Amino acid sequence: MTQSRPSTQTTPAISVQDVRFSYGSREAVRGLSFEVARGEVLGFLGPNGAGKSTTIKMLTGQYRPSAGRIELLGSDLARHREELQGLIGVCFEEKNLYPSLSGVEHLRFFARLHGVKDLDSEALLERVGLATRGRDRVAGYSKGMRQRLMIARALVNDPEVLILDEPSDGLDPVSAQTIRGVIREQAEGGCAVLITTHDMWEADALADRVAFINEGKLFALDTPEGLKLAFGKRSVRVRVRLASGEVAERVVELDGEESAEKLAQATRGGELLTIHTDEATLEDVFVRMTGRGLA
Amino acid sequence: MKRAIPSRPALVAAIVRKDLLEFSRDKLWVALTAMALVMFVVIFWLLPDRVDETIRVGIVPSGLASALQQLALADDEVGLEVIGFSDEESLRAAVAGEADGGPEVQVGLALPEAFVVRVATRQDVTVRVYVDAAVPREVRGAMTSAVRELALMLSGAPLPVTLPEGDVIVLGEDRAGDQLPLRERLRPLLVFFVLITESLALASLIASEVASRTVSAIVVTPARVADLISAKGLTGTLLALSQALLLLLLTRSFVGNVPALLLALLLGAVLVSGIALLTGSAGRDFMSTLFLGVLFLIPLMVPSVALLFPGSASVWVQVLPSYGVLQALVGASSYGRGVLELIPYLASAAAWAALVFALGWFALARKVARA
Repeated sequence: MTQSRPSTQTTPAISVQDVRFSYGSREAVRGLSFEVARGEVLGFLGPNGAGKSTTIKMLTGQYRPSAGRIELLGSDLARHREELQGLIGVCFEEKNLYPSLSGVEHLRFFARLHGVKDLDSEALLERVGLATRGRDRVAGYSKGMRQRLMIARALVNDPEVLILDEPSDGLDPVSAQTIRGVIREQAEGGCAVLITTHDMWEADALADRVAFINEGKLFALDTPEGLKLAFGKRSVRVRVRLASGEVAERVVELDGEESAEKLAQATRGGELLTIHTDEATLEDVFVRMTGRGLA
Repeated sequence: MKRAIPSRPALVAAIVRKDLLEFSRDKLWVALTAMALVMFVVIFWLLPDRVDETIRVGIVPSGLASALQQLALADDEVGLEVIGFSDEESLRAAVAGEADGGPEVQVGLALPEAFVVRVATRQDVTVRVYVDAAVPREVRGAMTSAVRELALMLSGAPLPVTLPEGDVIVLGEDRAGDQLPLRERLRPLLVFFVLITESLALASLIASEVASRTVSAIVVTPARVADLISAKGLTGTLLALSQALLLLLLTRSFVGNVPALLLALLLGAVLVSGIALLTGSAGRDFMSTLFLGVLFLIPLMVPSVALLFPGSASVWVQVLPSYGVLQALVGASSYGRGVLELIPYLASAAAWAALVFALGWFALARKVARA
């Protein structure tokens, strides 16, 4: 059976509607709803045990929700699981690779499982910076190389939905940058990307929108900028050398109509040394909203 | 990009191919498999290939040797060879295995010089019977009876007991003179060891897949859990069957009824694959899988050990999962019995293989779902 692309371009690529899941009597996901458009990167943020991994397992068809509905590319995941699994790419948090197989053998194996007939494994490995190590066995790969191979494996079927669980966790800057570049390219090509990460800077840089999840519930869903503006503190820190030679530091709150005047006053009365914005980070926003950190 | 959801057989074949590639690169299991195969083949060829059912009896005085031999032939005791000795000392040395270049015997009958005269005149006679330590108790008894019978024959007195034609009525299959040599009796045991080795290899492969969560990477593709487990079962059966066939080939054991032999082997391979699914699901690493595998497989070896000893196996041995497989292997290879004759054993083997495989399937499916 040839795989079809069942939805139109306007249908959300991922649509999660009031989804719940329980491990016995413990409810891990409690009425979660969100959407991800084609070409969008959604950062899925939350502390350990917030329900991120459970949500990912439901989105990849490993778990069936106890309530609610998940649609991928306009089709019900519960009813069209196999067809939809052929259209998604998944990168797990664990480095679940076969140490005795080479990079090329990994890609060929997963291409067979996806029914891909014309895989260009060399090009795919080139994309993630593993072109020269493709024939080597994974046992000899570094952590960063393994992670890049996992990204390549997730792309083997040219997915329309890409689900990435902590894709750059603990990686060196070069590997992390390579991975971010690939994710961005996929999104630009129309792929919907859902990414979980603990790295607030990465979420800020990569994600078009960010979803905060805690205790199985969605707390906020907006662009990083929108969240920071809505929930973060906005202020400017000014350092001035006074006539007496003393250095004074002044913090100007930017809330209110008189912000510009306050800032102008703060810079007067001495030699202006530095001005720094005290922009809130996503972590600040998260802590303010949930009362707990992301660790 | 050209892509189409693969058929179920194509998915299973892809996983089997990957599993075989992984297995072929696992130095430990490849080495163990090769070593086991070589060791079993060497053991097989070193074992005696015939059963010597003849008992060599020495007698003093040597003049009575022919009389005793005639008595043995008259009683259909074809397995008795009588050798005359000149004196009791050399007879004793021959029994004790200390004969210097002379013939060795298992039993020695030291009759006095005047044995015939004394028997004929109904005088008391003392006869010493020497036996090798390895001679069974029943043979020792038979020898003393033979001396008494010889005395009666020489004295001309009739035997006080009349036995019907044929002396003994054998119930069941008469294996007298048709005993299996040790090599043949050990063959099913060796084949089963090979099957077990391969089941441990598969269990290790499964445990490492579950522990490293590579199974999760497979089940988020169009492959189902059922495809994954089918592939594992097929890989295990292929590995076990191919190794067992190789052993039979190297030991020139494709004898008897080959179709029945192959069927018994196939059922054995499915049985041990089922056990591999069970132990692979329960084990967390190489050592725990090995421990569980051995724990499961030791009871399964009991019926093959029971085959080494004469007599019927106990009821508890007959209900063990491997009993049917082993009996079918022996029946097909050693006695040339066909599938129809072996139906009870093959049916038992098939039922156990199906049950164990189903349990293994269930255990692995649960494990994969939780991975």
